[in-house]
Amino acid sequence: MNSTRLLDDVAAVNLPRQFGLLEKTVEVISGSDAVHSLHVRGSLAAGTADRLSDLDFIVAVHDPSFGPFIRIIDTLMSAELGAILPGWRDTIVARMGGLGYVFLVPHEGKLHQIDLYAVPVSRLDTVLAQTKAMPVYQSDGEHSQRHSQVDWLINSTLERPYTAQELLVEILVLGHMIRKRITRGQRYVAYAEMFALHTATKNLIKTALTPGSAFYGWYQLAEEIGATPMGRQCLADLDRLISGHPIPTADDLTAALTTALDVAERAAPDAVAGLRTAISAYWHYLELM
Amino acid sequence: MTVIPVAEVALPAEVAALRHLESSTVERLRHEALTVPRNWVTEYGDYQNGGWHTLSLMNDTGDPRDVTIRDCPRPRPTALLERMPAMQELLAGLGVRCMWARLARLDHGAFLWEHRDYGELDEVERHRLHVPVVTNPSAYLVVGGTKVHMSVGRVWRLTPTSPHGVCNRFGPSRIHLIIDCYADAAFHDLNQGDAAAAGDAARMPEPSQSVLDETVTTATGLAELGYDHAAETALLELFYQYALAEGRAYDLIADMYAGLHRDDDAERWRSKKNVMLGLA
Repeated sequence: MNSTRLLDDVAAVNLPRQFGLLEKTVEVISGSDAVHSLHVRGSLAAGTADRLSDLDFIVAVHDPSFGPFIRIIDTLMSAELGAILPGWRDTIVARMGGLGYVFLVPHEGKLHQIDLYAVPVSRLDTVLAQTKAMPVYQSDGEHSQRHSQVDWLINSTLERPYTAQELLVEILVLGHMIRKRITRGQRYVAYAEMFALHTATKNLIKTALTPGSAFYGWYQLAEEIGATPMGRQCLADLDRLISGHPIPTADDLTAALTTALDVAERAAPDAVAGLRTAISAYWHYLELM
Repeated sequence: MTVIPVAEVALPAEVAALRHLESSTVERLRHEALTVPRNWVTEYGDYQNGGWHTLSLMNDTGDPRDVTIRDCPRPRPTALLERMPAMQELLAGLGVRCMWARLARLDHGAFLWEHRDYGELDEVERHRLHVPVVTNPSAYLVVGGTKVHMSVGRVWRLTPTSPHGVCNRFGPSRIHLIIDCYADAAFHDLNQGDAAAAGDAARMPEPSQSVLDETVTTATGLAELGYDHAAETALLELFYQYALAEGRAYDLIADMYAGLHRDDDAERWRSKKNVMLGLA
């Protein structure tokens, strides 16, 4: 056996653990003729991935199948990769022409983040021009024709307000991201994502208690939400949340997530009930990061 | 995601919570189970989705990787059990006449699909004991439309001749000691049921037609895109969410394929239903 082969063996056992998940994800998603190609982007494409890095994919889907693919994406990720939560429709990723979803997937005892940016093939070149990406799968099929309905589907999906349960998923996904920032010492990003978690919690309260609110953002919360004892309690929790350290420690994050979940339990109990066992697993994995 | 209400109920007749175990015993068992076993074996592939692994502690060959259950009147310790003194102590303390003992690890996202056991064995009366060593709230058994979370700290009895399935939806991995034993006086002494802890058993709701239609529509969408395995999994998972009639999940898969004019696949799932439920 030559030294190159031996070094390959050493490299293989020292690969970041999410490489196994990378292979599995490619195998699962490429299992459909509707998928034209898969690229990785982010740290994997830049060569800067570490053991905490998420897996960022661009999934190019033939235009006529784009809608059907979006409709089954949650079930596919749950059934084949064991995603513990429905995908969070990513509002952090740049608007490049498709739809981004974030999934939390256990693998080898740890929770990993998989970002899927689904794009119709007709927009793939536009997306690739905006981000550094490397191909990991390419089908043999021809490009499909542009399908007029994909524009409507993407725009209407982006404009649709989140449900309370989607906001709860956003809070949990952000918590996972923040925990990673804390571990890496990325203080600025931790600050930004903590603010996003506060905002998601505020949005959850508004969605659950004043779904028809005409007021923007953080305005008029006391007048609208604080009109009832339950609303005042939610605002007291929100006040406690935003009064914490702007750059969180691990303990700060635990306290913030606990408060956010208390708020969700009070304002949107059905949303919490539907995810209760998943949330229990989420806490387990968060402690292991 | 739909909120599925569950009602806490008594344990179904097929399951009983038996003897309590000392917490110190459980801690020793857990330490051994998490540190000693290596090279788990994935067997019974038709019955699961790939996340169920076992290693034998007592069988007739002494080989821990020999995990295909068969009648085994004179089992002996495997090389694995010899390195697990707490397991040895527990097995001896139960006093039952063991046919086979094994460790079973159910990983996150793993399912043992609805099935009956012991169909291939002869008519000698046997019972199955479970000793949960590591578990989590999303790991549970389903029998007769009731979900049972076998909590740590008890010995449990399962009568596996009724259709049942097991899942670990979100992890971490669940590890149980499973003992198949013959019915004798020691077993009957042990088999004195006691009330399970609150929350260990819950009756699942009947599925509404709209839920079934929605799930079938999603599964059909997956199959139309070529994701057959995910489509089948989505329908099989209904067994773990709703009180379904026996074999209903298999029927739904066969019907889905029939609706897609994939008659060979429909027939394959009708046959699989018969095998899984011992109806063949």
